[in-house]
Amino acid sequence: MNDMRFTERAVVEDKKIAAKGVQVYYGSNHAIKDVNVDILDKTVTAFIGPSGCGKSTFLRCINRMNDTIDIARVEGDILLDGEDIYDAKVDPVQLRAKVGMVFQKPNPFPKSIYDNVAYGPRIHGLARTKADLDEIVEKSLRRAALWDEAKDRLEQPGTGLSGGQQQRLCIARAVATSPEVLLMDEPCSALDPIATAQVEELIDELRERFSVVIVTHSMQQAARVSQRTAFFHLGELVEYGETGQIFTNPEDPRTESYITGRIG
Amino acid sequence: MTDASIAGAAPEPKKSSLLVQDARTRKRNAAEARFRMYGLGAVCTGILALVLLLASILSNGLSSFQQTYITLEVALPADKLDKNGNRDRAEMAKVSTFGYQPLIAAAMEQKMTARGISVEGLSAKDAAGLVSKEAPAQLRNFVLANPDVLDTTRTFEFLASGRVDGYYKGRVSMETAQLDKNISPEQLQLADILLEEGTLETRFNWRFFTAPDASGQRPEAAGLGVAILGSFYMMLVVLCLALPIGVATSIYLEEFAPKNRITDLIEVNISNLAAVPSIVFGILGLAIFINFAGLPQSAPIVGGLVLTLMTLPTIIISTRASLKSVPPSIRDAALGVGASKMQSVFHHVLPLAAPGILTGTIIGLAQALGETAPLLLIGMVAFVREYPAAPPEGFFDPASALPVQIYNWTQRSDPAFVERASGAIIVLLAFLLVMNAIAILLRRKFERRW
Amino acid sequence: MVIDNAHIASAFDRDLEAIQALIMKMGGMVEEQISDAAKALENRDEELAETVRLRDNQIDDLEAKINEEAARVIALRAPTAGDLRVVLTVIKMSSNLERIGDYAKNMAKRSSVLLQLQEIDNAFAALRRMSRDVESMLRDALDAYMKLDVEMSESVILRDKEVDQMYNALFREFLTHMMEDPRSITACMHLHFIAKNIERMGDHVTSISEQVIYMVSGEMPDEDRPKGDRTSVAIGE
Repeated sequence: MNDMRFTERAVVEDKKIAAKGVQVYYGSNHAIKDVNVDILDKTVTAFIGPSGCGKSTFLRCINRMNDTIDIARVEGDILLDGEDIYDAKVDPVQLRAKVGMVFQKPNPFPKSIYDNVAYGPRIHGLARTKADLDEIVEKSLRRAALWDEAKDRLEQPGTGLSGGQQQRLCIARAVATSPEVLLMDEPCSALDPIATAQVEELIDELRERFSVVIVTHSMQQAARVSQRTAFFHLGELVEYGETGQIFTNPEDPRTESYITGRIG
Repeated sequence: MTDASIAGAAPEPKKSSLLVQDARTRKRNAAEARFRMYGLGAVCTGILALVLLLASILSNGLSSFQQTYITLEVALPADKLDKNGNRDRAEMAKVSTFGYQPLIAAAMEQKMTARGISVEGLSAKDAAGLVSKEAPAQLRNFVLANPDVLDTTRTFEFLASGRVDGYYKGRVSMETAQLDKNISPEQLQLADILLEEGTLETRFNWRFFTAPDASGQRPEAAGLGVAILGSFYMMLVVLCLALPIGVATSIYLEEFAPKNRITDLIEVNISNLAAVPSIVFGILGLAIFINFAGLPQSAPIVGGLVLTLMTLPTIIISTRASLKSVPPSIRDAALGVGASKMQSVFHHVLPLAAPGILTGTIIGLAQALGETAPLLLIGMVAFVREYPAAPPEGFFDPASALPVQIYNWTQRSDPAFVERASGAIIVLLAFLLVMNAIAILLRRKFERRW
Repeated sequence: MVIDNAHIASAFDRDLEAIQALIMKMGGMVEEQISDAAKALENRDEELAETVRLRDNQIDDLEAKINEEAARVIALRAPTAGDLRVVLTVIKMSSNLERIGDYAKNMAKRSSVLLQLQEIDNAFAALRRMSRDVESMLRDALDAYMKLDVEMSESVILRDKEVDQMYNALFREFLTHMMEDPRSITACMHLHFIAKNIERMGDHVTSISEQVIYMVSGEMPDEDRPKGDRTSVAIGE
């Protein structure tokens, strides 16, 4: 039994995303300084660090959400399965179908639960028939552990759910387009502890199929859900490694100061 | 060390009772009480002004929704109205309203003799003066429309003259009639007798909403029909032009346009346009649409175009505000699942902004509906008795507009028009009220929580 | 160890289960060590004694692993209340078990030496009995841990008195032997240390049982448990 737990902890060492020498500038502000990181497949990777350390910025580089900000400029390479996502030929819309995102505040569309989940598959043409779509919706809601609570009220507005349910709905919506990578930008910061625990449990389950990258303010959350942790400080990637090792015996003194609550 | 510095920085707390107000607190409370009084005073002044306005308009105008009618049996002799006897409309039309006038006098006289009514010093002609000058025209129109009625006697309901009408609305009295060359006390006595007898009655005035304008001599016949239709056509033009142009402009500026000097300039100019006096738009309309483009004067299309120009900034500003109020998280969510920029705007942002946009549009329309100054300059102040045709030709026919009609009536000498103008104001206010109510309802209905 | 309600974070449950599985595995190994050491002594089985000595390394490794895992759970999961007591108990139990393992190893070492010395009547059988008692106490203590059984733990604590009394008896017996025949002193000294080791094992098992009571109830049992070891005040007669 115990051995099972330890093999479970072992992660697939397949690189999903490789970032090499990534620099991000907001106007004249150098927000990300030369970040090199390999994000593994079927692994939860947590980005931690003090506010303004660039962890969210880096996360938003991975699905090019920074494109919507005029003054942001990204240099360096970010490879998804070996393909440069900043290549001129890459359409960000297509990229975002592969790299889903869940945001800090639960932001369901003010539509029915069904339409929320079905939106992505619809615009990407993933379902040919209504039955296909129904199946995708059910599967996604199940995967987001929301099916039992939502199956009798699919036509009710998604905004009528509780905060935690809304966030799981957003996860279901992100999962519905069958992404390969799921980015989460502080997905639990607006949730109460129980809802947080449920979302965390969900993230742990999602690891079976996706590579999950989560930005979090809560070190405890990073400790709980991730297998790999990256510590950002002042735009630099200070330390990246196995979560247990980062939290019990970090190598860099800055990491130790941060996780023990001495800088922040 | 740190303790010492902290102790030095903060003053010692003073011991005082909570039950006693100190001077400072008293002063602050007094200032607050004064401010409340000012605010209350301002609100009361506003309410008082509103009440006065409504009271004066209602007291003057409500009576215009009542109208006095006289019912007469008129013989229509063929020898007088169709001298050739061949029922040819072109020839019958040669008989002018003067040819019909004696028929009414005869009908009046016949009624009085039949019922044995007589008023001292009142001739049959004077008795016919109770009936509106509009009556012969009404009779003539009827006969021309139905030539077979010749040589029969038909019952007609005629408008009473403005003075008689005013008598029953308290505007005219026996004393004022003494001095009035248009009416005499004897005529009023006759009117009273007719009223008792049931020939003359006062009831709700539908004609006020449907009839066209009438000359200054017959206020009793004047109605808002052409003005309402003209205003309606203009609103149609404004809605069809201003809404799509305004919404498209706002969406482009708000969601797609890069933020640079040119867009900044455009933005400032739109805000400035909203502040441009409306009469300037009238001059613009006159110069461009009438003098340059050669569109007809007094036409709803020109009025609509001018009002569109005037309403656009309002719609753009309110649309942009409601687009801005859509939380960015919704846009992020749409982009996050792989929607394109346009999909995110049209699938999510626009539906959420729709109530705000509709409200802004309706407010803009209401503003346009009440606008007078630019319409004066493009000739909508003309005296129009013909209804404009159905759209789209109707857009090019001369028409009037509600506010211009009000302006027009207030210029006329007969005091009966004061009543008509007030009535028209009530109609206009009712339209505005309805539009605002619709705006509020729409907002209530579509407003969503996110 | 069974926790009635599962955590929302199932990974937390799996972590806790993994640690507890490790401690049970360690307990099983230690039981075997005690039994084998006693067997080696009784049967004068040099080979078995050697096995026991070598196997102690595995127990030490297990202890290190349990401590590492416990530290990991504390660092990553921030356990509270019952969960925290489970982790604290596990850490202390692992060190207790490790000490018991060391004593067993020491027994095995001494039994190799005893092979070359003369036999003392009765002594092996008495030691065997004593070690069997301690072994069953340990088994019950671990059982009580699994079942969260406070009563069973308390009975284990009471049974330590018997072990102590057996030790007292042996102490006197060895003392008599040594007084009668000075040549037996070496053997008796070794045997006495073995007896002392077994008695110390009993104390550690008691400590484990106390930890179980703490884990379940949140309070440490009273200190005035029955103590049967009077040798600290014994004088040779």
